[in-house]
Amino acid sequence: MGRQSKTSLTFGTALLVSTAIGGGTALAETITVWSGFPEMVPFYEHVAASMADDHPDLEVNVEAIALREHERRIALGLTGGGQGTLVVELAGSTAQRYIENDLLPAAPDDVAAFVTGDGNFSDFFIDTASDGGTVYGVPLFRGQGALFYNTDMFEAAGLTDPPATMADYTDYAEALTQRDADGNPIVSGWSLRLSGGGQGIAEKFWINLFQFGGSVLEQTDDGMWQAGYANEAGRNALNQYLVSLYTLNTVTPEMPADAEAFEREQTAMFIRESWVIGDIAARSPDLNYATAPLPVGSIALPVNLYVSEGDETDAAWAFAMAANDPDNLVWLLENVGWLPNRINVDYSSVTTAIPAFSAFVDNPEGFEFFTLPAIGPIEEVLTRLAAQLEAAFADESLADDSEAIDAFLAAAAEETNRILEREGLLAQ
Amino acid sequence: MTDASQNHGVDSAPGIGMTAKARMTNLVIDIVLFLFGILMVLPLILLVANAFKTPEEMVAWPPTIIPADPTIENFSSVLGDTPLLRWIWTSLRFAFMSMVAIVITSSIVGYVLAKFKFRTLEVIFILILATAIVPFEVYMIPLYFEAQALGILNSIWGLLLGYLVMSFGIFLIRQNVKHSIPDELLEAARIDGAGEMWIFARIVLPLLRGPLGALAVLAFFQAWTAFAWPIIVTTSRQSYTVEVGLALFQTGFTVDLGRLSAAAACVLIPSVTIFVILRRNFVQGIASTGVKE
Amino acid sequence: MLRTKKWRFAILAILPTLAIFAYVRMFPIWETLRLSLHRWDILSRDKPFIGLENFQELFQDQLFLNALVNTTIIAFGVLFVTIPTALVISALIYHRTRSRFAGFYETSVFIPHIVSLVPAAMAWKWIFDANLGPLNAVLEFFGIPGQAWLFDPVLSVICIIILCSWQALGYAVLIYIVGFKNLPISLFEAAKLDGASGIQRFLFVSVPMLRPITLYVSVVTLISAFNVYAQAFVLASDAQGAPGRLVRVLVLDMLENAFRNYRVGYAASEAVILLLIVLVLTLIQFGLLREKWNR
Repeated sequence: MGRQSKTSLTFGTALLVSTAIGGGTALAETITVWSGFPEMVPFYEHVAASMADDHPDLEVNVEAIALREHERRIALGLTGGGQGTLVVELAGSTAQRYIENDLLPAAPDDVAAFVTGDGNFSDFFIDTASDGGTVYGVPLFRGQGALFYNTDMFEAAGLTDPPATMADYTDYAEALTQRDADGNPIVSGWSLRLSGGGQGIAEKFWINLFQFGGSVLEQTDDGMWQAGYANEAGRNALNQYLVSLYTLNTVTPEMPADAEAFEREQTAMFIRESWVIGDIAARSPDLNYATAPLPVGSIALPVNLYVSEGDETDAAWAFAMAANDPDNLVWLLENVGWLPNRINVDYSSVTTAIPAFSAFVDNPEGFEFFTLPAIGPIEEVLTRLAAQLEAAFADESLADDSEAIDAFLAAAAEETNRILEREGLLAQ
Repeated sequence: MTDASQNHGVDSAPGIGMTAKARMTNLVIDIVLFLFGILMVLPLILLVANAFKTPEEMVAWPPTIIPADPTIENFSSVLGDTPLLRWIWTSLRFAFMSMVAIVITSSIVGYVLAKFKFRTLEVIFILILATAIVPFEVYMIPLYFEAQALGILNSIWGLLLGYLVMSFGIFLIRQNVKHSIPDELLEAARIDGAGEMWIFARIVLPLLRGPLGALAVLAFFQAWTAFAWPIIVTTSRQSYTVEVGLALFQTGFTVDLGRLSAAAACVLIPSVTIFVILRRNFVQGIASTGVKE
Repeated sequence: MLRTKKWRFAILAILPTLAIFAYVRMFPIWETLRLSLHRWDILSRDKPFIGLENFQELFQDQLFLNALVNTTIIAFGVLFVTIPTALVISALIYHRTRSRFAGFYETSVFIPHIVSLVPAAMAWKWIFDANLGPLNAVLEFFGIPGQAWLFDPVLSVICIIILCSWQALGYAVLIYIVGFKNLPISLFEAAKLDGASGIQRFLFVSVPMLRPITLYVSVVTLISAFNVYAQAFVLASDAQGAPGRLVRVLVLDMLENAFRNYRVGYAASEAVILLLIVLVLTLIQFGLLREKWNR
């Protein structure tokens, strides 16, 4: 960096042009990490620092932006080039499209051996980092959901155990909601994702739907896909949102939501990934809370590291491997809170010290996982479903009206299937 | 327009002849306009005020207008955590370079289209006029792929690609040349043996100082406030313009309104200052946009 | 001889700009038209021609139709707020041209037009905030219950209209002030002699006389409002704590299709629709103006 600014003083525009055109060539041994999770920045910097001894000339730029923009820059950046060598953090399902179009190279042999061998990763994670038996990425961490609940509020409401069934969730939400004199909720009993752009609404809906036995997309025997929510599970899941909003009024769209609200004690419980543990530790260390596994199962969204074509691919792969170094993974769990995927590492120093992790690692018997399918149009399916759901959440007349809900779900599922059909992925 | 021609619509001449009733009316109008003016800038004032609030005060109800316990914590942390100054610098350079490009291209083409009477030029003028109405958003996706092919994404050149020419600028200069520079003046120079280049540089350009100044301000702010193009051209944090940086700044996991406001205030202050200094140019520019249809 | 020389200068002078113009305007516009008839996912080399299929799909696409309706409502909403307000405010400012505050009036009305969109939208996002915002605080002060401005399907559209009008107003006022300055004095003197009051003169002399300007400002306002994007983006942006309801507008839907759903051809067909709308609006303007000339 110092060198660059000195040169630019002397050669001003010349350097500007050369960096613009030459990309990575102007700066030797520089790799850039693209992340969609701003809270991961300290981790990647930690990994870079741990590599300093073996790679003294290596410079690692970490660039993390919000997930939606991150995915967009990948779509544009990988096809465009000129970025230098990138280490790209990407969900396996999203990477599929790039692999199919030869925009992400396969991992070199030693990296592939690390991923598949030595009992480092379970088959599930090896699969999501591979395509057709070839390894393309290095598994790193996963998004997995659990219930976070405020123990003080539970106590005040006379509740001791976390909710065990989805019916419990509704009852608990009602008991936990705090209201003003007019009966309007001021602290939501159960915070739900009800607004905002992107696919977040649909992903959160999927998690709830899964507890009722449904799935937004289900795979048929022929390996094809179809919408799996225009059914009883879908009706129950959607109706629970609507009942919470309109019948019981335990939450409203404009109430503060998500981790921020939980940390400020503006909601009693919500479902989220493990990073919230790290976030609470940083922002509201005095909050009394606990976590619990979801009733049936959770999403497991594996995030892998991929490397783009460039001059420094060796260093980039070395970085992806160093990220999976046991010390670094323990650091990740302890300081950021995302769950590492590598299994033959001892995380007990963290999980015993921070009991909130137990709901993520000690899964009850029969606990199930699902993940987003690795198909091209997954984002479009979820974004469109999210838009449909946002409209449904705003429609008070749907609450407890099974017929209307079914009609809504049928229309949404038809749209989902139409997208699948267009892409040649629809089950017969 | 001369001063004498002003104020003819409604009588407002101050002074001896004014009745008490007229003075009263003026006072009421002043009050209305004053309140309206305050109302218009109020959101921005609130934004600046928020920048000085502590996190506790930020979430207090009812909201305060003036910070009870002003702090500059937000500014120092936002300047420390984000390359805000770099973003502002990028925006300034981008806006300035775009301004220069637009002023140059518009003045030459505007002059030629106004004073050289050839059939081909008329066709070109109609073509330029027709594209003036096509919103940028319509063609920015193919333009993006051009930038990609040139390898200038994530650079100031990539940003500039979308802002090199301005159909409206060409139109503006053409109208001005047509109405304010007599043909006789140019012909006289030609008879004296002046070259075309000399005529343009020594006669036309000096006469266009007013409209060119106005166009410069227009072009500068057009680039300064650009959003849709920079957000697709820049994908690295280091190359954002300030608009993009700010928009993405607030999409992390949690919103920190105080810091966000501090960042926004840092952006508002230079642009408002520049505008207030150049206001005269701007008003003249708008005035000369040929709305006399 | 002189003519050839002039011709050579003209061509040489405009050629560089013309080349840039062709490259950054003509060609991309042409490409948009061409892409709209193709199917392309950005990544693959395959780009099959599919005729009008994209357009057929567009008109069955709920999100697109929703975006079209929203954008139209917003554009006309902005128009109906901006034009009357601008007329009145500019008349008042013009009336007080000699006031020592005239500079302040003009500047304060115009500043929203030049400030960056994003900071401005952020300020408004806070003002509209249901739990923290001053708007609800003011309402509650008067005993009116607070509203979920950014979340209600109707109110969130109104919020965008307010925000866009706030930004569009300054430009309209400035143009109108110019218009007032160009009105012929004689008409007003005559009206005054006939005993018309200030308000009567405004309504029956100024407003009709300013019709061409009203038309011009209307079209400019409409066209720029049809391109609304940053406002919707910021008000609903995915900040996890308090995202607003996403008001889907054309440009947003277009960019989502292009860069999120990887459907560039489809997005291009949306751009073509946007182009057609703007074209029709402009033609209407020219038509109305011609009608005026002919009368």
